[in-house]
Amino acid sequence: MPTFTHGSVSIAVDEDGFMETPEVWNQDVAAALATTEGVTDLGDEHWKLVNYLRNYYLQYGVAPMIRKLCKETGFDLKKVYELFPSGPAKGACKVAGLPKPTGCV
Amino acid sequence: MSSNETTYKIQVMREILAKKLTRPVVGSLVGCVHCGMCNDACHYVITHPDDPKMTPSYKADQLRKLFKYNFDWTGKAFPWWVGAKEPISDADLDALKDIAFGTCTNCRRCTLNCPMGVDTATLNRLMRGLLSAVGVMPEGVRVVSKDQWEIGNQMGVLKEDYLDTIEWMSDELVNEVGDPNARIQIDKPGCDVIYTINPREAKYDPRTIAAAAKIFWAAGESWTMPSEGWDQTNFGLFSGDDQLGGAAAKRVYEKMKGLDAKLLVISECGHGYRSTRCEGPNWAGIDQDWNMESSVFTMLRYLKEGRIKVDPTKLGKRVTYHDSCNLARSCGITEEPRELLRAVTTDFVEMTPNRAENYCCTGGGGAMSMSEYTPRRLRSAKVKADQIVATGAKVVVTSCHNCVDGLSDLIKHYKLGCEVKQLVDLVADALVIEECAVMKKPKVVVEMPKPALPLHGRRILVVDDEPDVRTFLRTVLEDAGAEVSEAADGDQAIAAARAGKPDMITLDLSMQGKDGIEAFAELRSDPGTRDIPVCVVTGHPEFRKVIYSRAVPPPEGYMDKPVRDEELVDNLRRIFELRNHKAHA
Repeated sequence: MPTFTHGSVSIAVDEDGFMETPEVWNQDVAAALATTEGVTDLGDEHWKLVNYLRNYYLQYGVAPMIRKLCKETGFDLKKVYELFPSGPAKGACKVAGLPKPTGCV
Repeated sequence: MSSNETTYKIQVMREILAKKLTRPVVGSLVGCVHCGMCNDACHYVITHPDDPKMTPSYKADQLRKLFKYNFDWTGKAFPWWVGAKEPISDADLDALKDIAFGTCTNCRRCTLNCPMGVDTATLNRLMRGLLSAVGVMPEGVRVVSKDQWEIGNQMGVLKEDYLDTIEWMSDELVNEVGDPNARIQIDKPGCDVIYTINPREAKYDPRTIAAAAKIFWAAGESWTMPSEGWDQTNFGLFSGDDQLGGAAAKRVYEKMKGLDAKLLVISECGHGYRSTRCEGPNWAGIDQDWNMESSVFTMLRYLKEGRIKVDPTKLGKRVTYHDSCNLARSCGITEEPRELLRAVTTDFVEMTPNRAENYCCTGGGGAMSMSEYTPRRLRSAKVKADQIVATGAKVVVTSCHNCVDGLSDLIKHYKLGCEVKQLVDLVADALVIEECAVMKKPKVVVEMPKPALPLHGRRILVVDDEPDVRTFLRTVLEDAGAEVSEAADGDQAIAAARAGKPDMITLDLSMQGKDGIEAFAELRSDPGTRDIPVCVVTGHPEFRKVIYSRAVPPPEGYMDKPVRDEELVDNLRRIFELRNHKAHA
């Protein structure tokens, strides 16, 4: 199993770079993972999105529909892609410590 | 795992293989002379030149061994010479899994090079099918197949969430074009077109839904999207499970027929098109007497008929086109996308090779859902990366969702700095609305459909001894579209349930008179009320144990007070959804 290391962060990830043990997620881990998705600085808006994903995942065990994400955070689709250029499934979910979404993505 | 179980698995694989030995399959099994011409065709071989296990013939030989051992006379006469052999352990099965799922995307490029016409991808898919049948498959494929079987689409999207997403895209489109007629109609009977999608569009990136809707609207099309049977994708193609293939395809066909639509239009998705248009009727064992086409054809037809007009200068970037293996190689769709692409752009460069000879996006055959093989996949993607770089294009266009993800991944990995788009994006962006059919039609004022409320039409009995709580629950549920009746204690609840047969009961436990625990047991013991789903809403979480230990089926939901409005609606909606799935299973 690969290990992802960035600064003081060292975590087990799958071959696509998603966390193997989502429980050990914290803000430092998020910031470190964000660098792999082309986001070097996590601002308030990033955190709003990441925290929503994180809480939804902890509650339901799956990633939310993009519809729910936009409704709850108040961001439109364009904004989501501005914040995470690689998109909600791969970019934002990875940073929020979710496992890789299933299916054709 | 005991060896008995392994023996049983192998027995099952043998029995299935016996049923799959059609003439084309046997032809491919016995036709290979191991000349090695397939090697140059395969992106795995090209990027792993020192690994003989990457050759297409080696991969297909895994099935040949099994075939020869059990069915071919050469394997019976001199097994040592022809390599006739069966797996004997779980480790053997796992090794087969890694070959069938991890070293081949079933792109069929090797078939073009084969002088004997051996279809290695068919053999590889058959091997995947044998393994899947005994539960030996990558976790990602297992999860997705399960969702497709049980929930009806490969990403487990619930119906209400899907409808909510369509509604959202409708709103966006109506706002953008300023015409209420642009709204997407769900389940409208008798339309000329019914449009199906890949669940990835609904779950993660619905921009393509809005883009397609804009094009249908601009062309003045009579069209609809189905509320069910909308997932055109099919993991049966990837897992080799023909039964899943048939079941998933049938859902789409049945919905189309139920709505009496004239033409099924399949959104830009390579394996979805192949599964729905070409393989599905065979898997499902039904005669096809209806029409289906890729949305690429639909868009091109609108253009040729003058129903849409486009401005090719809008994009202003160099584009190249990536042919999806399923569309180009397996289904022969090569010229239509190019014709369309030339119409909506000004600087189109071919990648080399192209059309049926194009290399795989390297994410095909379900590879995107098998993380364990990602490093090998990305290494094999070097071939594709080189092809793209050579074009100098800033935008790679493809007509396949799977390719979008495969290409995006390799573009990121090799830092190519290009975007990936689909034709639907480019056509929608290039539309010159003033000159499209929709502007020439006389305006018809349509009645605006009401937004779908999550509990629309559901009759819910609210049981609670506190009037304030009843009023709160009533307000929340009515706002969500439900019809609400009330009861203040256990006796009233039972009487109301017997008389009114509500679709659901929310039940307080601690009440004056007959309490909820007793009432619940009575409701569940009475044949007239026992099937009514019950969601307990209580201020006493400790009663959970009491109620679940009753000798009657447990409640469908259990919520602790205070409940939040949204949580309540969500919970009840899920209970209804799950019952629907069970009822249709």
